Amino acid sequence: MLTNLLPTLTATPLLAVGLTLAAYLVGSAVFIRLGKPSWLPAILIAALLLAAILALLGLPYATYQQGATWLTVLLGPATVALGMPLYQQLPHIHELWRPLAACLPIAAALAACYALGIAWLLGASPDILASIAAKSVTAPIAIGITEQLGGNVALLMGSLLVTGVLTIPFVSLAARLLRINDERIIGFALGLNGHAIGTVRAFDISPTAGAFASLGMSLTGIFTALLLPLAWRLVGIGAG
Amino acid sequence: MPALNGLLWLISYWLIGEVVIHFSGLPISSGVVGMLLLCTTLAVIGRVPASLAAAAQPLIALLAMLIMPGVVGVFFILNELAGQWLAIVAALLLGTLLSVFTTLWLLTRLMGRSHAD
Repeated sequence: MLTNLLPTLTATPLLAVGLTLAAYLVGSAVFIRLGKPSWLPAILIAALLLAAILALLGLPYATYQQGATWLTVLLGPATVALGMPLYQQLPHIHELWRPLAACLPIAAALAACYALGIAWLLGASPDILASIAAKSVTAPIAIGITEQLGGNVALLMGSLLVTGVLTIPFVSLAARLLRINDERIIGFALGLNGHAIGTVRAFDISPTAGAFASLGMSLTGIFTALLLPLAWRLVGIGAG
Repeated sequence: MPALNGLLWLISYWLIGEVVIHFSGLPISSGVVGMLLLCTTLAVIGRVPASLAAAAQPLIALLAMLIMPGVVGVFFILNELAGQWLAIVAALLLGTLLSVFTTLWLLTRLMGRSHAD
């Protein structure tokens, strides 16, 4: 009886959707219980929990992923929805457009190039390079970029998580060494390098830091989405 | 149902993005095209319609949950990545450290200069 139970339950996407909702809610609750540690984001707790449940149930990832499509299909409209906060930040962009316009292309390009250069020097395969190239871009946009480059979305997600979590201590270290107190600069650096995870941290510092972090996150996402796939095609890494 | 109205906006912009990519052949995701079109539309209207905010805000708040099925996938490809670990970890660790320093240094220089002007 019990052996037949799993196929019955996985006949509809509701098991996958239910497990995802449960892991997300429990992960968020645990995160708050632990006092919102910046090195352990809620999504990491939830993902570890979900992976453990799938392993315990013996549910293959492919089966789970198929059911979870019911949730992931919403990433499309959710990415479009990011146009709303972007519009709301237009006054900030207007105010400081000169330094931001000069900094963003260089910093966003370097965020990808440093990692690609190091991985390439250490002999990573083209698949790996395509999967980590969008490591500083917010997830819904990064998934689109990685699919364009032919990378592995699962590895991208892992890279996003690691990058986001590392950005927080790195920014406080660098700000101390460079003697930077300007919340606008610190916020922008958190969002540009650490996407959504860095942006959440910036909102803990102050609303101004948060606004500049979301600005850095949105602009990096747009810039990388527009130029990385084109640059990839020109350099021909994907073909190699 | 204002939220449904807003959701239809978001889905329509995503579909328009698909059409734009189909005909232009640009290597961009349709979500990004839709996002830029939505931002442009709002700038033209000059405000955020309540129905759009009713759909966009909860969707943005749920982003972390929507990407979870993808994040979980990384635990199931650990074996495939054997031998590439050093390159991946070094790239993420050193790459992020270098790019954080560059961003902060660059922006301080640029903002300092623009204030001096």
